[in-house]
Amino acid sequence: MNLKQSTRRQLFASCGIGLGKISLASMLARDLSASERPANERSAGTGLHHPAKVKRVIYLFMVGAPSQLDLFDHKPKLVELEGKPIPPSVIAGQRYAFIQPGAAVLSPRFKFNRHGQSGAEIAEILPHLGEIVDDVALIKSVHTDQFNHAPAQIFANTGSPIPGRPAMGSWLTYGLGSDADDLPGFVVLNSGGNLSGGAAMWSNGFLPGQHQGVPFRSSGDPILHVANPKGISRETQRATLDLLADLNGRRMDALHVDGIQSRIESYEMAYRMQSRAPELMDFSGESDETLAMYGTDRNDAGSFAKNCLLARRLAERGVRFIQLYHSGWDHHSNVEGGLKQQCKATDQGAAALVKDLKQRGMLDDTLVVWGGEFGRTPMVEASAALGRSLGRDHHPQAFTMWMAGGGIRVGQTLGKTDELGFHPTEDPIHVHDIQATILHQLGIDHERLTFTHAGRAYRLTDVHGHVVEKLVG
Amino acid sequence: MTSPIPRRFDLVWMVVIATFALATPLVFPPTNLHAADSSAPQVTPDFNRDVMPILAKHCLACHGPDENTREADLRLDTESGSRVDLGGYQAIEPGVSAESELMVRITTDDQDLRMPPADSHPPLSKTEIDTLRNWIDSGARYEMHWSFRPARKPALPPVKDPDWCRGAIDRFVLQRMEQAGLSPSPPAEKVALMRRLYLDLLGTTPTPEEVAQFLADDREHAYENLVDRLLASPEYGERFARTWLDLARYSDTNGYEKDRPRTIWPYRDWVINAINRDQPFDEFSIEQLAGDMLPAATRQQRIATGFHRNTMLNEEGGIDPLEYRFYAMVDRVATTGTVWMGLTTGCAQCHTHKYDPITQTDYYALMALMDNADEPEFNADSQAVIQRRESIEQEIANREQEIVDRVLLSGDGDSTLRDALTQWRQQQMDQATAWQTIAPVEMKSTLPTLTIQPGGTVLASGDATKRDVYTLTMPAIESDSPVTAIRIEAIAHVSLPAKGPGLAFYEGRRGDFFLSELDLSLGDNAIKFGVGTTSVPGAKQGDGKTFPGNVLDGDGSTGWSIPGEAGQTQRLVVPLEQPIKLDSPWTLEMLFERHYVAGLGHFRIDVTTDANPTAMTIPSSLEQELVNARNSGTITDSTQRQLAIEFLHGDQRMAEHRKPIDQLKRSLPDDVRTLVMQERPTSNHRVTRRHHRGEYLQPKEAVSAAVPVVFQSDSNLAAADRLGLARWLVSDDNPLVGRVTANRAWREFFGTGIVRTAGDFGTQSESPSHPELIEYLNAVLRDGSSAGHRWSIKALHREIVLSATYRQATGAAPAIDPNNRLLSVFPYRRYDAEQIRDSLLSASGLLSRKVGGPSVYPPQPASVVQLAYGNTPWPISDGGDRFRRSLYTYSKRTAPFAAFTTFDAPSGELCIARRDRSTTPLQALTLLNDEMYLEIADALAKQAIRDVGDPSGPAAERGIATRLFKRLLVREPNEMELNAILKFYRDQSEHERPWMLVARVLMNTDEAITTP
Repeated sequence: MNLKQSTRRQLFASCGIGLGKISLASMLARDLSASERPANERSAGTGLHHPAKVKRVIYLFMVGAPSQLDLFDHKPKLVELEGKPIPPSVIAGQRYAFIQPGAAVLSPRFKFNRHGQSGAEIAEILPHLGEIVDDVALIKSVHTDQFNHAPAQIFANTGSPIPGRPAMGSWLTYGLGSDADDLPGFVVLNSGGNLSGGAAMWSNGFLPGQHQGVPFRSSGDPILHVANPKGISRETQRATLDLLADLNGRRMDALHVDGIQSRIESYEMAYRMQSRAPELMDFSGESDETLAMYGTDRNDAGSFAKNCLLARRLAERGVRFIQLYHSGWDHHSNVEGGLKQQCKATDQGAAALVKDLKQRGMLDDTLVVWGGEFGRTPMVEASAALGRSLGRDHHPQAFTMWMAGGGIRVGQTLGKTDELGFHPTEDPIHVHDIQATILHQLGIDHERLTFTHAGRAYRLTDVHGHVVEKLVG
Repeated sequence: MTSPIPRRFDLVWMVVIATFALATPLVFPPTNLHAADSSAPQVTPDFNRDVMPILAKHCLACHGPDENTREADLRLDTESGSRVDLGGYQAIEPGVSAESELMVRITTDDQDLRMPPADSHPPLSKTEIDTLRNWIDSGARYEMHWSFRPARKPALPPVKDPDWCRGAIDRFVLQRMEQAGLSPSPPAEKVALMRRLYLDLLGTTPTPEEVAQFLADDREHAYENLVDRLLASPEYGERFARTWLDLARYSDTNGYEKDRPRTIWPYRDWVINAINRDQPFDEFSIEQLAGDMLPAATRQQRIATGFHRNTMLNEEGGIDPLEYRFYAMVDRVATTGTVWMGLTTGCAQCHTHKYDPITQTDYYALMALMDNADEPEFNADSQAVIQRRESIEQEIANREQEIVDRVLLSGDGDSTLRDALTQWRQQQMDQATAWQTIAPVEMKSTLPTLTIQPGGTVLASGDATKRDVYTLTMPAIESDSPVTAIRIEAIAHVSLPAKGPGLAFYEGRRGDFFLSELDLSLGDNAIKFGVGTTSVPGAKQGDGKTFPGNVLDGDGSTGWSIPGEAGQTQRLVVPLEQPIKLDSPWTLEMLFERHYVAGLGHFRIDVTTDANPTAMTIPSSLEQELVNARNSGTITDSTQRQLAIEFLHGDQRMAEHRKPIDQLKRSLPDDVRTLVMQERPTSNHRVTRRHHRGEYLQPKEAVSAAVPVVFQSDSNLAAADRLGLARWLVSDDNPLVGRVTANRAWREFFGTGIVRTAGDFGTQSESPSHPELIEYLNAVLRDGSSAGHRWSIKALHREIVLSATYRQATGAAPAIDPNNRLLSVFPYRRYDAEQIRDSLLSASGLLSRKVGGPSVYPPQPASVVQLAYGNTPWPISDGGDRFRRSLYTYSKRTAPFAAFTTFDAPSGELCIARRDRSTTPLQALTLLNDEMYLEIADALAKQAIRDVGDPSGPAAERGIATRLFKRLLVREPNEMELNAILKFYRDQSEHERPWMLVARVLMNTDEAITTP
């Protein structure tokens, strides 16, 4: 055996493979050429290009686009203009999904209150967020290029509206690897309904396959096929793996091909995942107080609140990027009733996650992001053919997100919109800027984490994006 | 290099690789062999291999083809540009590096002068500077990038061991090995070679009987005979269709949010068939790109144009349909570039290519070549199905006639029913109105193209938006009486989505329309309508989609449409509030406004002067006959019979008599309408524009269709449409197509292309591992003489698998060639997702050999599709369809079949020239625990037990274990393996199905899913 091979064998022995354990693993697991290797191989946690502020991200993706005008961006002017059309000078040239340019203004549906030392204004139906608002930075001037759900969701996740690019979580595990050696580095949770953007939102795109996001179920067996099939005991599974290791080892001895060793490792890691999964999903150790804080219980089979708690457990176990999708915010009709329902389903869990991370000392090295794919119009949506009334249409020009956690300048409200909430007037922040900022917090320069594919270097932010200094400075 | 590489070189070499691996994406090991080789300064650098990558990486972004980003009017990508007088000096002074400004700038310590600019770029490395210096000193010759040069047939290189070579391929491969001091591996075992050949050519495994037969065959051409037999197998087409479908981004759904089903499997079957009959690649290409434009295009040639209908279709509510058509065009340009040119044209969508000679205008000129097509559905039924349908339809007509004759029209029929008919007929007669069809004299619309058809109907085609207005100028009506009403008849038409009558092709029901408002004016005067009537059932006030009053309420969100099934013909009658003589030209304006395209696709305008006209449910032609009968006082037998048949169709009292008819109707085969391209008429030519920054919302000047300027010659300037493009792409004028195609074939057998970046042959691509071999394969593939392959892909595949290179044993790559680019050993690789499943299915005996047809649903957990939008079902197939070849698995873009995705199968959203081959624990969990694979393991075990016959006793145990092993891995197990397996079997004897457990282990071995 030559030096090259033995070096690689030693590396395998020390670091395992697959699911982006560390980014180096991605090189070893397959026949990668120079152009496909990550730009830098410093181990996770220290950052790729500069010191990292956080080790992981929990991204609460509010699918369907919550109405910023009814939750965060308080516009008294809309009360004054209620029922009147938006001035043509404002609306000219804008594209909408459903409503026509003549649509009238709809006033905010809820009362706004000021909270915390920062005095941030938040609608009355988000009382739990009100409690943690000093740990949060509200960003009211986010804008996107897309005005339809699937492209906008894919855009927020991959930097491109067309499916096929790697998701943010894939970029992160590709660049940084993961601290988990028995769980995937990029986990996807879902509640509230199914998703417009589909699997493109956690696709590895052209990055190596082990950076695919892995959808988890929030109860029972979290990962597809992680449980032994009916009739196959743990002992039988172990014996199966032992025989496999024996047969594969013989082939390895005969051929000395690294790929065989990777396969052997991948089966051992699969076995470790099988052992880890039940432990992950065992909520019996969570105190009653904790469960009550989230608003869930041990039998909860898949609420957003339960997913928030599971997210914390995944974070504790070293998962790099945990994404929670919650659907149900697409309020083309009865925005008031819809928001009441969704806020009830999500406000407590999201706030509890921030509180829980904080009390466990994890908020310092975790970034929590909350937001949808776009905002909603100041104009009312109504349609006889569709049976809609008192709703709001899609509004890409301005919407609100919030961030909490390590390195974020919390207790501030960043960005302003005009008196109709139509366009940002101060600190406009594009979706690519949000992406650049998230990467920045993990020690990554978004312009330098690239992958050469089809003749050119690609990155999450395409050719755009700036770190939002006011958010992180 | 003739002397063996010193051992110490290995260490140096590793450092070189490590350095390059981190520093530059442009270099790969075989080139490094040269680079290390040529580090001595006297060696002249090769422009394309050594110099161009440096220029491309450091200089061309500002001094390249893109005029908009070019600095100081200096371009370094062309020889003339580099010699331009910059004011007494020039960037490159051939032969004199010291006087070349380029050298001064890249070597200076002055940060203000240094190139590339110090603020954003690191300086060039010493090696790079040395290379440029050597190149300038030796004359600074520019050469065309290798892949852009015309085809040439290289001479066979001399080798030291010609006896090893079985053919031309081997000479080129061996020469490179010998240059690097490597020698070939011994030939693979016969049994390993057979398994390899089956997996590579068919994607399945041989039966033990086929193996035994081959092993016993010691005739000289046993291997060649086997190859020829496999090439002739229908499974060959299924195996290679999968690769082509990756390029074609084939899927059974539309993609994006709703990701609804589409019917395009007839295209997939066309591909399988074309590959099986070895259609020459040039014809194969032309038919897929422009089959509809061929003279007397056949049905099959039209079905082939599905290639570019595999683009995605966004059906989300409220999208801008033209925006997603633009994205589909962008995809078509990119895919065409990748598949037939090996060029990543995508960069030029937004700006002139930084490195490759493709300008932004070239890009949109290429788009224009493909832009002038409509995208209709096309009946893809086989002749047998068409005949069956016709015969059933004839039988329905006969039976209807027979029933009405017997029950209603003959004297001894059912008198109650006859009385009912008589009464109904009188009602119809009383209600019938004399309508006059008016063909518009002028038609305008916001976008759709409107044309008059024979009979005065109006047909819409082309593009449409969410809010279209048709403005019809109608001729003066010569009549003494005033017009009392207008009738709009919405009529099904075969050219429309789902036969119409509307233009809706996404989001709403296909074929839907929505008439929001209707306005009539005479001169400057608006003529008021009253609330009318319609043949659409249940059109009550308050119904936003059918009530006739909706078209006059000024509310765009209410209107008239036809709910229910597509393909209906219905009528709307709108009375004038005051009858008026329309004795000068009048105007009808129709507004169609919905959150999706909802224009009427086919309709007719009639007017009447009769009093109290209403919309009838009987066909308008029959209504006219009733008017004639009323006027003449006699009703013909034919009219009587037609009325009776209408009565049979619609009257409650005829329900019992309708039963046999309904049963026949249910037996009518659904027509399969696949997606095709259809060139638009010159009268309705689509204008293609350049889009600033590639953005849909920034269209600029119109661009004429043309192939990229760099490839233009006198002979191809005429390539002005899709067919011209298709012919050009496979002509000698496109230097890339043969290289790209041969490289793709090579990759199928060796895992990596001769050019590793399979979809990219541009200046940024890696140099070929065997530059002369790719030239040879290109030449022989295109060669139209009897010595050449004449574009036969089977002949190319045959030549590859007959080579000694292919027949080598597998193993580890040598240290000096760690990526095995020189192929001194057969490359180890994991098979693709579909090959894995298909080979396991065939080993177990479960595999269904049925070719073609609608896609199927092998078992997978329901949770896979549940994450996707909508309540998508996954109706697991029964019987043989559960075990079909994997390329027939229903491909859903937003929730691809999980067992395939886990093994790096694509989603069908993009053209994929090169799949990844990862190794992950999720793959292990899939093969170990997925119920689909357990079912196969169980079948495999049972098959082996059946094969052996007597399932008891120790001898039988050995027999079953051996048989299982051979069914799957083809070779015999050795004694140690057998003992390990039998020990496991005995340890698991308490288990209900211990042989299933054994099969499961073997299916999970590395050997089961990798190259033998």
